[in-house]
Amino acid sequence: MAETVTAYVKNVRDTAKSFWEGMSVTLSYMFRKPITTQFPDRMGVPVQQTIPARYRGFLEVDMDICTACLACERACPISVINIDTIKGDGKTKPKLAMERFDIDIGKCMYCGLCVEPCPTGAIQHTREFEGATMNFNNLTLRFVPDALSPIAAYKVPKGSDAFPRRQLGEITRKLIKAWDAPPPPFPSEEEAKQDHGKPKATGLDPAAMGRTLAAKALQVKEDKPKLQKVIEEAMAGTDCGDCGYPDCFGYSNAIAQGKETSAEKCAPGGAESKKMLETILVSLKTGVVPGAPAEAPAAAPAAAPAAAEEKPKGPPLAQTLSKDELYKVVLDAMAGTDCGDCEYPDCDGYTKGIVYEGQTDLNRCAPGGEDTRTKLYEIMLGTKPPPK
Amino acid sequence: MQSFLDSLIKNAGHDPATWPWTQFVYLAGMGAAAFIVINFAAITAGIFSWAERRVAARMQSRVGPNRVGPGGFLQWVADAVKLLLKEDLVPAEADSVLFRAAPYFMMVGFACVFVTLPFSHRLIVADMNVGIFFIIAVTALIVVGIIMSGWSSNSKWSLFGAIRSAAQIISYEIPGGMALMVPVLLAGTLSTQGIIRAQGGLPWQWFIFDNPAATAAFFIFFISALAEGNRTPFDLPEAESELVSGYNTEYSGMRFSYFFLVEWGNMWVMSALATTMFLGGWQIPFLSADEFDKLTGGLAVLAEVGSLAIFAAKTLFFVFVVMWLRWTLPRIRVDQMMNMCWKYLVPISFAGVLFVAVWMLIVHAAPWLGVAMRVALTAGGGALLAMFVMRTLKNIRDTGDKFDFTSNW
Repeated sequence: MAETVTAYVKNVRDTAKSFWEGMSVTLSYMFRKPITTQFPDRMGVPVQQTIPARYRGFLEVDMDICTACLACERACPISVINIDTIKGDGKTKPKLAMERFDIDIGKCMYCGLCVEPCPTGAIQHTREFEGATMNFNNLTLRFVPDALSPIAAYKVPKGSDAFPRRQLGEITRKLIKAWDAPPPPFPSEEEAKQDHGKPKATGLDPAAMGRTLAAKALQVKEDKPKLQKVIEEAMAGTDCGDCGYPDCFGYSNAIAQGKETSAEKCAPGGAESKKMLETILVSLKTGVVPGAPAEAPAAAPAAAPAAAEEKPKGPPLAQTLSKDELYKVVLDAMAGTDCGDCEYPDCDGYTKGIVYEGQTDLNRCAPGGEDTRTKLYEIMLGTKPPPK
Repeated sequence: MQSFLDSLIKNAGHDPATWPWTQFVYLAGMGAAAFIVINFAAITAGIFSWAERRVAARMQSRVGPNRVGPGGFLQWVADAVKLLLKEDLVPAEADSVLFRAAPYFMMVGFACVFVTLPFSHRLIVADMNVGIFFIIAVTALIVVGIIMSGWSSNSKWSLFGAIRSAAQIISYEIPGGMALMVPVLLAGTLSTQGIIRAQGGLPWQWFIFDNPAATAAFFIFFISALAEGNRTPFDLPEAESELVSGYNTEYSGMRFSYFFLVEWGNMWVMSALATTMFLGGWQIPFLSADEFDKLTGGLAVLAEVGSLAIFAAKTLFFVFVVMWLRWTLPRIRVDQMMNMCWKYLVPISFAGVLFVAVWMLIVHAAPWLGVAMRVALTAGGGALLAMFVMRTLKNIRDTGDKFDFTSNW
């Protein structure tokens, strides 16, 4: 392979030149600030501030402006949000309050669908994301800290479109802080020995509960789906699958259908479930609740037809009251969250629609649920609502 | 070593020549020196392993190990402890005797270099009159260790790595050795201390700026040293993408750490050798070697420490350059590696030796020409350095960044 002198010299020159260029580039990087951020402990600013504003981190609910409309709960495709509401008389207790507002962050898939329908912007994604915890249960964010002191739902002032929200992230950060608390201590050997064999302090009397359930079961003996529900109440309800059925429904349904006769299969329920199930099975077989006062089984079947009978009633309120009085009554029956799910702007609009504009669909108040439906049918038609 | 001990004893008011058991004193002195030198080599290798990772990280816009000790400085201690505690595996089909012995051959070849490697004006284990020859000879022992480890591992990757390494080291020994002949010619001695004494403390007194052939020889020597030390861009024997890890693939724990100790320790060796041969070694500016000899008392100690600092500073700069090169250049191919050696470095180094011989005759006849050449080359070198600094600063400016060496450590 012949090589000309020019090519030879060019090779040497190219080598020198590429060294010159390359080494000046690497040296220039040496004297520049490294791009690495030293997360988590050597950050100039908290890491949350370095994340884009629209980052979808942990959810946060500002209970001060939550209307308890349940729009987020319904929007969640995987039931991460759980809200329990409680109704009051509006005088000593708030008309609508929340006993529970839990978001299971361990299950949340950060889709953001709950944020969209919120009428006041109470539920938002924060930029918090560090979810490591000693106890998996910690991952449920409880925005109502105490179920015994429910938080009143926010009543949206007429015509307002801006709501006083707390600083985003503040509330969730406080809840997460609690995660740092150590997990409950592991019981020592002595403690474990003491606990063993002691009846659990549940306050539940399995014998009495079994009799109650057995009585109920006798009432609905022929209605298999209802019977199944009664039987399922005697089980632990953990859907563990230890019984050989996929879940509690499977086991209880098998008993209801008469295909299963063993009462011993509910492992999490233990001795209590076994006792209750035995009571139910015996009573189903004999038609008498064992060990119960004599009149109980007799009274139960008597009560059943009585409850089923329709009580004669007067005409519905809609026909007896004036429109303006009716308006007040109907508005009272609504959930009062102004969520807008009824396709009216607020509760006021829906009420006016029903009372003055001849709206016949009484099923639209989503946050009120079955309760509101029953009331509305009672008021407007004087009947029970049809099943959904 | 002997003269150093003699002077120490004489300073204490005794005459070693009158003692009946001087030989034992010398023997003890040798043992102490060997202990110090081997530990020096091991510790500098460890520190370089940390320094290299920090340098590499910054050149890649990263941070690097910075958690163990101040600035991560104790990272190498942690790594050493880890390596010592790891299981020492010998593959089932390996030649276990050779496999176990190979790292020690490498260690011996590496540690012997320190015998004639100077540290300062007086600090040297033995100033042999064949110093350079000795260094070239003992470095070849490393090849034996590498071939042994590659063969005894009974693994194709190890064997490939070892063969490549042998080919590379033997090839590059020729241009490297010829390049070292240039300062030997200029100084008229093979002794390392003698070569340093023939230079001076100021840049134009260094051999690198003596004549164009010496400058070329410096670069050829540096490239050959990189190749002999298996450093990037000549790390073909350890090419991860082809050979897993080359000749040390099958090693683990303590024995593996010996290989890396040699690799990083070699950085000091090659840099110290470059400093000695071409960059005036420990020479202090405006203090000639003869004046240095005549100093006594505190001044002598001060000058000794100064010369040690100067030598270390120059060496550490070249250690940095070696790291810097590693993170700049990609690995070259085997054919490119051989091309470069036999077609470029060997002819140029031979021509350089001839040129220097002729040049010495010319300078002997007309000394002013030698002075003019030294000044011109030094000025040229200075100008290139300034241009390089400006180019680097321009690179930083062009990216819209600013000079920042202190933040995000």
